[in-house]
Amino acid sequence: MRVSDWIEDRLGLERFRAKYLGKPFPVHSTFFLGEIALFCFVVLVGTGLYLALFYEPSALNITGEGGALPAAYASTLAIDSHPFGALIRRIHHWAAHLMIASVLLHLLRVYFTASYRRPREINWLVGLGLLGATIAASFAGYLLPYDQFSVTATAIGYGIARSVPWVGPTVADFVFAGQFPSAATVPRFFAYHVMWAPLVLGALLAVHLLVVLKQKHTELRAPGEKPDPAEGRWIHGIPLWPEQAALMGVLFLILVAVLAALSAFLPVHPSALYGPPQPVTPDVKPDWYLLWVYGALRLIPGTLSFRFLGATIGSEAIGAMLVPGILTMIILLVPWLDRAPSSAYYAEHPTAAPGRLALGLAVLTLFLALSLAGFGAELGLSVPVLWVITIFAPLGAGWGVHLLVGRGKAEATGTGR
Amino acid sequence: MNRRRFANWSLKTGVVAAIAAVIPGVLTLRGRSRVAATRALAPGDRLVFALGQNAGQPVTQGGFTQNEAVLAYPEGKSDNHENLVVVCKLDPAAIKAPTDLAGVAQGVVAYSAICTHLGCTVRFSEEPMEQAPFPHIHCPCHGAMFDPQKGGTVLGGPAPRPLPQLPVKLNDKGEVIVAAPFSAAIGVKA
Repeated sequence: MRVSDWIEDRLGLERFRAKYLGKPFPVHSTFFLGEIALFCFVVLVGTGLYLALFYEPSALNITGEGGALPAAYASTLAIDSHPFGALIRRIHHWAAHLMIASVLLHLLRVYFTASYRRPREINWLVGLGLLGATIAASFAGYLLPYDQFSVTATAIGYGIARSVPWVGPTVADFVFAGQFPSAATVPRFFAYHVMWAPLVLGALLAVHLLVVLKQKHTELRAPGEKPDPAEGRWIHGIPLWPEQAALMGVLFLILVAVLAALSAFLPVHPSALYGPPQPVTPDVKPDWYLLWVYGALRLIPGTLSFRFLGATIGSEAIGAMLVPGILTMIILLVPWLDRAPSSAYYAEHPTAAPGRLALGLAVLTLFLALSLAGFGAELGLSVPVLWVITIFAPLGAGWGVHLLVGRGKAEATGTGR
Repeated sequence: MNRRRFANWSLKTGVVAAIAAVIPGVLTLRGRSRVAATRALAPGDRLVFALGQNAGQPVTQGGFTQNEAVLAYPEGKSDNHENLVVVCKLDPAAIKAPTDLAGVAQGVVAYSAICTHLGCTVRFSEEPMEQAPFPHIHCPCHGAMFDPQKGGTVLGGPAPRPLPQLPVKLNDKGEVIVAAPFSAAIGVKA
C-alpha cells in the first residue's frame, strides 16, 4: 500500500484538497511581497531555534578567557565561533531587515492600489499590527547580543519610554523590568523576543491569511471585464497546487540564497567589533526603518518643550512619541479617510485617484526627509535647512504629483477643469 | 435563584475574582526596585576614572590639563549608570553663572554625563569644532550641546534641560571629591 493512500485512508484529505488547493493566486511581481515577509518569518524562526540553544539571557558578568564579560555578550561571541554560527546569526539579522522591508513594500502596494477598502479594513489593521509587532520584535532582539551598540540603542528606547508625559517612568519600568541598564532587562527582552514575538506574529499571520482566504485576493480589473462584481467574477490566477506552490518554493529558495549571500559578504551587526558595553556612547544611528524617528529627534529643539496639565511634554516625547503617533494614527485610519465610492473587489491603478496618490507620496516623502535629517551632520546640512526640506519636500511631492496626474486624467477623459 | 441566574452570577464573580488575582501578578512586571535608591552618589565620595588604564584610580586636579575632561564614577559605585559624571578642567576665569561657583575647585567642574534628552553619555569637545563654541559638551546621539562654562546650560539641539552640575571640592591630595548632590534629577524626565 502506498504511503499517500495510507494517509488518505485515515485522514480523508481529498475534500480539503478539492476545496482549498485550487485557490487561485494572481500572478504579479508585487503580489509576492507578503510571501517574502512570511518566508523571512520562517527563516527567522528556523535560525532563532538554533541561536536560542546557545544564547545565555543574562547581563551578569562571567569570567572567561577575555576577562569579565556579560554572559549574553560572551555567549554571542561563542555562537560566532561555532561552525556556521556567525553565518546563522547574520542570516537571522538580515532576515529581520528583509522582513521589515517586505512588510513595508507590501503596505505600500496595498495602499497605492486602494486594496484596503471595504471589506478589507480588517486586514489593513491586522497588517499594520504585523508591522508593529515585527518592529517591536526587532527592537527586543537588538538588545540580546548585549554589545556596546545594543545597549546604547536600548538605552535610547528606555529614555523615550521614560519621556512619555505623566506615565513615562512607570511605563518604562513595566517594559524594561525596572531601570535600564540593569540585570533584569535582558531576561525580560529575551522572553519578549523568543516567546511573545513569535506567538503574536504567528497569531496575527494566521488571522491575516485566513482573512485573505475568505475575502480572496484583490487584483486589477482585466480589460473588458464586467464592471459590476456583483454579477459574478472570475479571479485570474494560477491554482495554489501545484503552480503557485512551485513558485513559492522557488521564491523561498531564492530568498534563502540571497540571505546566505548577504550574510556571507556583509557582516551585519558584528558584536565582536562593537565590543562589550562601556560607559561611553559610540556614534550610533538606528537601523534604517527607525531613522525617521531619529531624524525627528535631532530636528526638534529643546526649546519646543512645554508644560501641559502638570507634565512636561519634552522635545524627546514630541520627536519619538507625538510625531510618530500622529503618523501612525493617520495610517491606521486610511480606510476610513478614503471617501471615494468603494470598489469592493478590484484593486485600483495607483493613478486612478490623484488625491490618494498625492497623500501617499507626501507621507512617504516625509519619512524620507526625516530619515535624511538623520544624516544632516554627515551631509553638512544645518537644522534650519533640514526643517525646510522636511516641511516643503512632502508638500511639493504631493502637490506636484496631484497636479500632474490630475491633468493627465483630465486630458484622457477630455473634460478638463 | 434559577439555574441561569446562578450560572450568570458565578461567571461574573469568577471574572472579577480572576482580574483581582491577576493584578498583583501584573504589577510585578514592573521589575526590581531601582538600583539608584541604594547606590546613589553621596557627598564625600571620591571620584575615580571610569575608563582606560587608570580605571578605578582617583581623579586628581593635577592629573589632567586645561580644556580636558574625563569620565568618572564615585568610587565603588560604578554599577549605577546614573552616577556617571564628566569632570572638566576649564579656565577658572571663564566659568560664569549660572554655574554653582562654590562647587568649582581650581577650574575643576563636574556634570552628570547622562544627556537630559535621551540618556546617552555626553562627550567633552577635545578640540575646537566648526560652528560650535569651545569648550562645549555634546551628545553623540541626537546632537544636543551644553556649555560647561555656564552651568551646563543648553547651547543647542534637542536637550530640554541643562546638564545637572555635581558640586566638587579637592582634598589635600588634590583628589576630586563630591561636595554636594547633583543640582537636578539625572537623565530623562517626563
